[in-house]
Amino acid sequence: SGELYCSLPNPRNVHFESVNMKNVLHWSAPEGTGDGVLYKVKYSVYGVGKWIRKPECRNINRTWCDLSNETSDYEEQYYASVKAFLNGMCSDWTETTRFNPLTDTKIDPPMVSVSSTEKSISIFLTAPEKWKRSPEEESVSLLQVYPGLQYNVSVLNKKTKKRWWFSVSNNTLVVPWLEPGTTYCVSAQIHVPTPLLHSGFSKEYCIATLKDK
Amino acid sequence: DALLPAPQNISILSTNMKHFLTWSPVIVRGETVRYSVEFQGEYEREYANESWIPICECSLITATVCNITEDISATVAYNLRVRADVGARRSEWGTLKGFFNRITTSLTPPLMKVIADGYHLLVELEDMGPAFQFFVLYWKKGQESRMQQTVVKEVSSVVHLDTMEAGPDYCVKAQAYVEAINRSSSFSQTQCVRAQGGTSMWLV
Amino acid sequence: KLFHFGPCRVSMSVTEIRSGFTAIKANIQARDPIRTLSILSHPHSLHKVKLLDRCCITHHLFNFYVDKVFKHCKTEDSYINRKISSIANSFLSVKRKLGQCYEQNKCLCGQESKEKFKQILANYEGLNVTSAAIKSLGELDILLDWIEKSP
Repeated sequence: SGELYCSLPNPRNVHFESVNMKNVLHWSAPEGTGDGVLYKVKYSVYGVGKWIRKPECRNINRTWCDLSNETSDYEEQYYASVKAFLNGMCSDWTETTRFNPLTDTKIDPPMVSVSSTEKSISIFLTAPEKWKRSPEEESVSLLQVYPGLQYNVSVLNKKTKKRWWFSVSNNTLVVPWLEPGTTYCVSAQIHVPTPLLHSGFSKEYCIATLKDK
Repeated sequence: DALLPAPQNISILSTNMKHFLTWSPVIVRGETVRYSVEFQGEYEREYANESWIPICECSLITATVCNITEDISATVAYNLRVRADVGARRSEWGTLKGFFNRITTSLTPPLMKVIADGYHLLVELEDMGPAFQFFVLYWKKGQESRMQQTVVKEVSSVVHLDTMEAGPDYCVKAQAYVEAINRSSSFSQTQCVRAQGGTSMWLV
Repeated sequence: KLFHFGPCRVSMSVTEIRSGFTAIKANIQARDPIRTLSILSHPHSLHKVKLLDRCCITHHLFNFYVDKVFKHCKTEDSYINRKISSIANSFLSVKRKLGQCYEQNKCLCGQESKEKFKQILANYEGLNVTSAAIKSLGELDILLDWIEKSP
């Protein structure tokens, strides 16, 4: 269809929000527009000469569009662009900055599970998985994406209120020689030295060592 | 107007990868003298027509010291120069004698506190900046030959080293290491503790 | 950190280079309006370089950046220029180390790596020198991502 009269203000703050390489394009409605604005989205692989329309995000009224599938190759970089329509008018295409999934994604905290014996606690850490198209698809751990991935683990003795820090690369940490009948709270964070990435800290998981027999 | 003399006694103070350029003040009675600093890396000398790059934080300053750490961020030979300004009068550049390479920075041993918490051996280390890691050595007193080493990259707080048997003293010492220049400090003083609540004791 | 490029082992503080690049990435990439052309990643991706060719390609790429790219990246922004200087001097330091290994004939250049590097130069020469230099500088993360993927 012929291009409409494009004097509508542009969508604002067009950017990728990425967590564990689930890459979702977000934007804000054009200034001064109420309801009824529709959008369409296109994306391009940096260095490749064509823009590709995203059919599922054509004439949508929401202000996000999941492009995880289209940007799943993290050896490439991407641009995305949004155009707004309202009452026969349209805006210009408004682009993101260049998006590098490898360095621009945020990482969720690791999953933590703990078990205890009389005098020790065992901490099991699991790095989040990279986003995948469907549950049937083979899982890829972020450990495979970032081989230098490490865990910073904090262990808090609830009785003495003392906190210890561990930095481990493998996913199991056993802390022996603890006090029986004492509660320890564990929290962990992922640290990737380069490209420099940190996750937030996981929820705190508390467990008590068994009482002295 | 007499020519404004160039700053003299230009030198570098570099400790623990923090680098400062200092110089003697230029004295002009009744006037405020201001100074500007520029640097030139090996790249600029060999590939960019010997160009100089101004450090805007040290442009027209009255102090006689400039923190050049942010700009000395490669392990190559740098040139540095300073000039003085008083009103419309401007001195020639005073240039550092010889080059400065951060590989020559002086490295001090880290402040360290060893803690025994029950049967657990822990260490608290001074945060010396992002360029630093620490090699922490620990051993059972009298068994120096069976020394163990841990690399501590992130100094968050109390870092867990190992568990201890009840009875013997455990001794710890640490040195700072800078990967970017592949150099280490000397070791900190040895500190020994004992399991079951022994607090840090200075034993050499 | 020690990197292995085939027979050549080079210590390089990629963290410092990355932090310098991260500080200027948005500014430099915003100066490059050409979406449809890449210097490093198309049509040949660095990620398809064979292990044997890594040394030669890395050697040529560091020479390329030091000899050709950085000098044409001067901006009106003093902060950006200082960060570019820091990256350029770090690259010079690595170029020297790689050069020594290359001179000792340990860093063989196969036909494929010659082709790849020829393509990179062709991409570069396809633009005016300033646009090509700014685009190459804006693609530093492509180079660093690839270098760090080295086994």
